[in-house]
Amino acid sequence: MQNQSKDSTIITIKNLTKSFKSKIPVEGIRGKIKSFILPKYKKVNAVDNISFSIKKGELVGFIGPNGAGKSTTLKMLSGILFPDFGELTVCGLSPQKNRKKLAYKIGTIFGQKPQLWFHLPAIDTFELFSKIYELDKTEYQKRVDYLIKKFEISEIIHQPVRKLSLGQRMRCEFVLALLHKPEVLFLDEPTIGLDITIKKTIRELIKKINREEGVTVILTSHDMDDVETICNRVIVINHGEIIYDDTLDKIKEKYIDKKIIRIETNNPIIFKEREGITIIKKSTFEVEAIVDTTKVDFNKITEEFLKKNSLSDVTIEEPPIEDIIEKIYKLKKKGNSF
Amino acid sequence: MELLKYYYISKINFKNSFVYVADSFAASLFIAFITFIFVNIWSVVFNASGSEIINGFTLPMMIWYLVMTESIITSQGKITIQIGQEIIRGDIANYLNKPYNYLVYKYASTIGASVTSFFITMFCAGAVALIMIGPLNFDFTIIPFIIITAFLGITLHFTMMSTLGVLALWLEDSRALDFLYQKILFVAGGMLVPLDVFPLWFSSICVLLPFSYAAYYPAVLFVRFSFELFIQTILIQLFWIIVTSLIALVLFNILSKRVSINGG
Repeated sequence: MQNQSKDSTIITIKNLTKSFKSKIPVEGIRGKIKSFILPKYKKVNAVDNISFSIKKGELVGFIGPNGAGKSTTLKMLSGILFPDFGELTVCGLSPQKNRKKLAYKIGTIFGQKPQLWFHLPAIDTFELFSKIYELDKTEYQKRVDYLIKKFEISEIIHQPVRKLSLGQRMRCEFVLALLHKPEVLFLDEPTIGLDITIKKTIRELIKKINREEGVTVILTSHDMDDVETICNRVIVINHGEIIYDDTLDKIKEKYIDKKIIRIETNNPIIFKEREGITIIKKSTFEVEAIVDTTKVDFNKITEEFLKKNSLSDVTIEEPPIEDIIEKIYKLKKKGNSF
Repeated sequence: MELLKYYYISKINFKNSFVYVADSFAASLFIAFITFIFVNIWSVVFNASGSEIINGFTLPMMIWYLVMTESIITSQGKITIQIGQEIIRGDIANYLNKPYNYLVYKYASTIGASVTSFFITMFCAGAVALIMIGPLNFDFTIIPFIIITAFLGITLHFTMMSTLGVLALWLEDSRALDFLYQKILFVAGGMLVPLDVFPLWFSSICVLLPFSYAAYYPAVLFVRFSFELFIQTILIQLFWIIVTSLIALVLFNILSKRVSINGG
């Protein structure tokens, strides 16, 4: 068993590559017979030579469009899939060589593949998992009581899972994944299908568990609000390649070139359109404009405005993170470097 | 501790199987119908032969033999297809990241779930046999021995099915293999009729294969018990269980490197 490095790196990936083979479909009966005898395959690079490391306690958003290689990477990290090439360690262990040993150190939630027994109460699955993870009886009782309280599920744990709402089920799934105090939590689309209130609760709970237990979280989600609320670092992957790896703030700083500003004043407003500023709406005491931050200094504009006007209210809107990510994909497609 | 977790896996599956009691009863009604058909077929055959014994079997023995083979074989569902589907759909991901062996997990689950359906089938098909043919001349002291050999038969049936199921990692589907296996069991496994009714050359080949030790021998012991045959049967059952489970485990270790789960 390797030791974790001193800088508290918990996950290391070096030149990780994974490809899938898929049969090329052939039309016609003759073609189908030929394909059965001599099938032709095409190779799809799901993950293409990626490298990164994650420190203990980090909250990392692993994002990308469908088929980008997110889930494949997560499955290699949890030992389910074998890479074609490259090295990876999680908690100082090779997931492929020490899959069983690693299982005690990681927790997984695949949003589309529930682990709870559908017809039995959630508490039965909790008890089963306590045996699977070889938890001491007292230790388990203490832990399950704590998590039941934290995820507020005491009212529902004795009801068959099939009778629970999706949100209640997901909270139970989280308790299940955290029961054995994992060091790393892999979350693959954990909020899929949930309503906005439950999503918010789940996000808060993930952050809380990270804060209180120091658990490292790797999250994949198509919901950018998940990433924005939970993660302090984001890795963008597309066509199996990493195209961005930094903090969310830096993404915004680098790629946000337009801001929408809405101002209300106590005096008749003094604000003129010029290069870099496009007025969308204007009345006597109110103006709404798009500011192109590549052409004008946003802070300077605000200062100038305040000198001439008595401010009543102001809101500044940034484009949604989805638009920024989409922009990154497009830029990469055009071959721009990062 | 390691073995204990598999016991709890069996236990939760046993508990879960009660959810499907109505379903098991419905499935067993079909087995009861099959028993009804065979009672009629064998009655005609025995009447036509003018003998009370055919190849060492009386009419009640022939019918109760069928009750036992059906109970063993149908108790655990189609594991080959189940494993194949878990591999194809990617559900296997939820098993591979747990601290247990996937195939032993499947075995523990199957044993837990099959207890209920074994007894339900026994009850439904047995009721038809009892009403139409009457009881078997049965010594109740042999029940523990029958339980042992039936349990080993169920285990062997599982290890054979799981070996074929694992091949889905290579073939990407397991339905064709399951179809083939079920048909072999029908004939070479003595599932519908005892091997004794076949020509000697064919039954001699069948007893060399593992299929007959899943259902034929436990059912023969059920209707015609002898301690020597019991010892011989369980030893050969254990031999085939070890061989087939080793093949399944080795194949799984090799082929699990080929698991390809695309997408979430």
